Amino acid sequence: MTYALLITAFVISTCGLVYELIAGTIASYLLGDSITQFSTVIGVYLFSMGIGSFLSRYVEKNVAFTFVQVELLIGLVGGSSASLLFLLFEHVDNFRILLYSLVSIIGILIGLEIPLLMRILKERLDFKELVSQVFTFDYIGALLASLLFPLILVPYLGLIRTSFLFGLFNLGVAIWTIHLFREQLPWKNSLRTTAYALVIALVCGFAFADKLTGIAEASAYPDPVIYSTNTPYQRIVITGSTKDLRLFLNGNLQFSSRDEYRYHEALVHPAMASMNNPQDILVLGGGDGLAVRELLKYPSVRSITLVDLDKRMIDLFKEQVLLTRLNGGSLNDPKVSVIINDAFVWLRSVPKKFDLAIVDFPDPSNYSLGKLYSDTFYKSLKAALKPDGMVVVQSTSPYYAKNSFWCVDKTLASVGFHTTPYHAYVPSFGDWGYVIGSLAPFKPADEKRYPPGLRYVSDATVAQMLCFAKDMLPTVSSVNRLNNQALVHLFESEWSEYVDAH
Amino acid sequence: MSTPISRAMFLRGLAGCGIAVLVSKTYMEWSHPSPKFPCRLLGPSKEIGHLLRNHNVQETGKPTTTTSTRVTIVGGGMGGLSAGWWLKKHGVDDFVILDLEQDVGGNSSCGKNDIGQYPWGAHYVPICNPESVYVRQFFEELGIIQGHNDAGLNIYDELMLCHEPQERLWKDGSFHDGLVPKRGLQKDELEEIARFFKTVVDYRNATGGDGKLAFAIPLDLSSQDPKYLALDKISMEQWLDDNNFRTKPLRWYVNYCCRDDYGSTLTNVSAWAGIHYFAGRRGVAANSEPNSVITWPQGNGFLVEKLKGILSKQIQIGSLVTKVSQEDSRVNTTVMDSKTRAYRAISSDFVIFAAPRFVGARVIANQKFSHSQHLSYAPWMVANISLKNLPDARGLAPAWDNVSYYSDSLGYVMANHQEITTRSKPNVITYYYPLSENDPKVSRQALYTANPEEWSQRIVADLQKMHPTIANEIISMDLWPWGHGMIRPSVGFIWGDVRKQMKDRDGNIVFAHSDMSGMSNFEEAQYHGVEAAKTVLAGLSSG
Repeated sequence: MTYALLITAFVISTCGLVYELIAGTIASYLLGDSITQFSTVIGVYLFSMGIGSFLSRYVEKNVAFTFVQVELLIGLVGGSSASLLFLLFEHVDNFRILLYSLVSIIGILIGLEIPLLMRILKERLDFKELVSQVFTFDYIGALLASLLFPLILVPYLGLIRTSFLFGLFNLGVAIWTIHLFREQLPWKNSLRTTAYALVIALVCGFAFADKLTGIAEASAYPDPVIYSTNTPYQRIVITGSTKDLRLFLNGNLQFSSRDEYRYHEALVHPAMASMNNPQDILVLGGGDGLAVRELLKYPSVRSITLVDLDKRMIDLFKEQVLLTRLNGGSLNDPKVSVIINDAFVWLRSVPKKFDLAIVDFPDPSNYSLGKLYSDTFYKSLKAALKPDGMVVVQSTSPYYAKNSFWCVDKTLASVGFHTTPYHAYVPSFGDWGYVIGSLAPFKPADEKRYPPGLRYVSDATVAQMLCFAKDMLPTVSSVNRLNNQALVHLFESEWSEYVDAH
Repeated sequence: MSTPISRAMFLRGLAGCGIAVLVSKTYMEWSHPSPKFPCRLLGPSKEIGHLLRNHNVQETGKPTTTTSTRVTIVGGGMGGLSAGWWLKKHGVDDFVILDLEQDVGGNSSCGKNDIGQYPWGAHYVPICNPESVYVRQFFEELGIIQGHNDAGLNIYDELMLCHEPQERLWKDGSFHDGLVPKRGLQKDELEEIARFFKTVVDYRNATGGDGKLAFAIPLDLSSQDPKYLALDKISMEQWLDDNNFRTKPLRWYVNYCCRDDYGSTLTNVSAWAGIHYFAGRRGVAANSEPNSVITWPQGNGFLVEKLKGILSKQIQIGSLVTKVSQEDSRVNTTVMDSKTRAYRAISSDFVIFAAPRFVGARVIANQKFSHSQHLSYAPWMVANISLKNLPDARGLAPAWDNVSYYSDSLGYVMANHQEITTRSKPNVITYYYPLSENDPKVSRQALYTANPEEWSQRIVADLQKMHPTIANEIISMDLWPWGHGMIRPSVGFIWGDVRKQMKDRDGNIVFAHSDMSGMSNFEEAQYHGVEAAKTVLAGLSSG
């Protein structure tokens, strides 16, 4: 029995260190700055172990009973710690409170283990042997954990499975102890039932770890998810409540039905109304058909060519009733032809010339998207315009990412466009920016040229849109090229300041 | 006093832990078996090439037919193709280019599969120096240089200028920008790196007593000032020691660069060549940073394809030259068809010998050049690996060139880096591994004796250090061992007698190959190709 208990010391110390490493790793994944995270997690953990050791003095009677309870609790809390941290990350206001509470609880419980175990062993070994042996096994377990964790557990099992697995080891210790002390333990049967129930729960957690990751992702959306699909290019999620329909691509909000009219009216009308008889329009991106809906308000329009990468997205916005209600069935209009292709690739071989090109790509958050904001891209775009043609480019937020916004402006100017930057307030996005690039200087339209029924754009609001406050002016100026990707660098650094705010 | 722990017991416990780690590791590997993917061994036709080593191929070859051309170009690598390009440009059409492979290209060969094109060797060219006139002329002709700005700077095709991010280095658990080590460096290490770059920039701007650039591209235009030539007499390692460059990150970087460009280490590469790598490139462009590079999915195979288009009438593939001999101001070339093994003869006014120079010793009758045994070639292994998806790694997003601080390989290049699509789809990575640690002969043996299985395992294990899950993403792997991958600019080679002799024409045989520079790259190969063509043109017009 002595050996059995010493091996217990080995197992529990391995588990204890693994939980500590899990907490430290998840904290550095989710919060960044690994030195701070590891250092504070280890500190809090060790301190809590001290509290646990201190508290062990208050365990007066039936030490084995308490030990089993402690093991069951560690199995539960430690075992589910990784999934708890991942699942709750999106939902708690202050993740650090959750993190350190969890680390403290586990730490206190782990702190209780060794003193209790030593007291159980007290009758069987003299003090010198007891201390030497328990700590020997304790430290060997720590070594094993520190080797297993980076070499095997994280690469092969992942954090969530690892934590469930080690929870199971703690439960194993509990069940083993129940067995060893079956003569002395009160509530033996209920302890055993609890232990097996927990084993089943953790085994399920281990088996369905992938699903849990999925839930953690889906629960990031505030409203019920009414549709979701993975296309070859992106994850499309549509959420809906009674008053609001939202589209997310790869987790990023694309529009909210409450205020998307502001975004799309501002995208289309300032350029469109200023033009004399615009006939052939090109839309790049914008597979939701909402910009097309605005374009169809102009009787002069003869053709609209929409180029989007994702056929599934187009089909969705052609067929789903909820969505065609929103875009007015614009994608089914006979004037609209849809081309499924890479905008850049397609643009380099198009013979047709357009009056206006509306460029509504996702923000330049990675290098492949950054290429769609490059001077080379704008040169190709310019070549596809008629002599008085225009482009309008959605250009991220001039408030959150002012240098990124002005970089788009500068890049358009660098290839010979007259640029007219402007911005509009869209509540679900914030202050949002656009740049008009025209081959002749841009003149805003008179009121009578705007189509009837607009809710946001008018000659008065356009005048406002053209005005930039001081806090939106750029501090650096650069042209985005394929071989410098200046915009992606700016965008990353500017938005990262707001990551915590999201 | 029950059961004290004896030392034996303690040791047994420790052993038990070790076994537990091993068992679980084995179990994990067993339950996650390394996925199987097709692995093919491709590569230059060494069987055909090695026919030349047994001399009876020359003796038994009785040509059945004889044709006549003005010029025969032996070898369809960059040197031979450039010679052909120049001849054609100057009105000579009556020539052939012979290559033993089923395609021309040599070290600039490329491949293609369902996913896309990829290089088998050379995969970029730096934007050209002002003195690299042939390169500029060629690039202007192909439209790679589209024009000039008001200051006279070249405007390059932006789809060919290497896109950002260009390079990333795996160090201390994540990728950072650039190949010069940055993360976790001490102050003295950083200072040494800064001092190194200042030193090489000084060399870049230096001119010798003869008014020529200290380090030019092509290197034959460099200054002959003994002050600089002396650098060829010591190794790069010696030079680093002499200049007190001792910290590890810097030496790692310089060694990496030597292996990357010359397939050889600091101990072997001459300091002149080592410095040339950094000080030679002075390219500027209107629309890019100085010292940028241009690249294509198929690497320099892009340039080969363009030249093939120009020279389609002259190129004859599957043609192994077994003998070149001179008689009465004519040069006779004996050619074996690699498939039918039939022999034919070509009689010409001139031969431009643009095959690797060690081949010359076996082919050219009564050759003047007698130092073939002093030529040293680095063996390489190149692998093209098709991936469903390149796994994410910590730090910087995938770059064009991806290198690990901890690997013996040179890392990998993303073949689809220059694409302008936003789709994420399967891609091909090209993995480069120079066998530079041992003597080339020993390494060449190692290159050929290991079987494809062993090589693929070694490569996957190396990549797993950066991408632990990469094995699950591999669709297929093709291997290309280069036995004589590139000539090595060993100490004393570039400005020594052997190279001087190599450049001499041998009667009506004129030589063209980057071997004659001691550096295997596009600019040197093209320079010798064009120079040889010029010599031949002069000879043709005077004869």
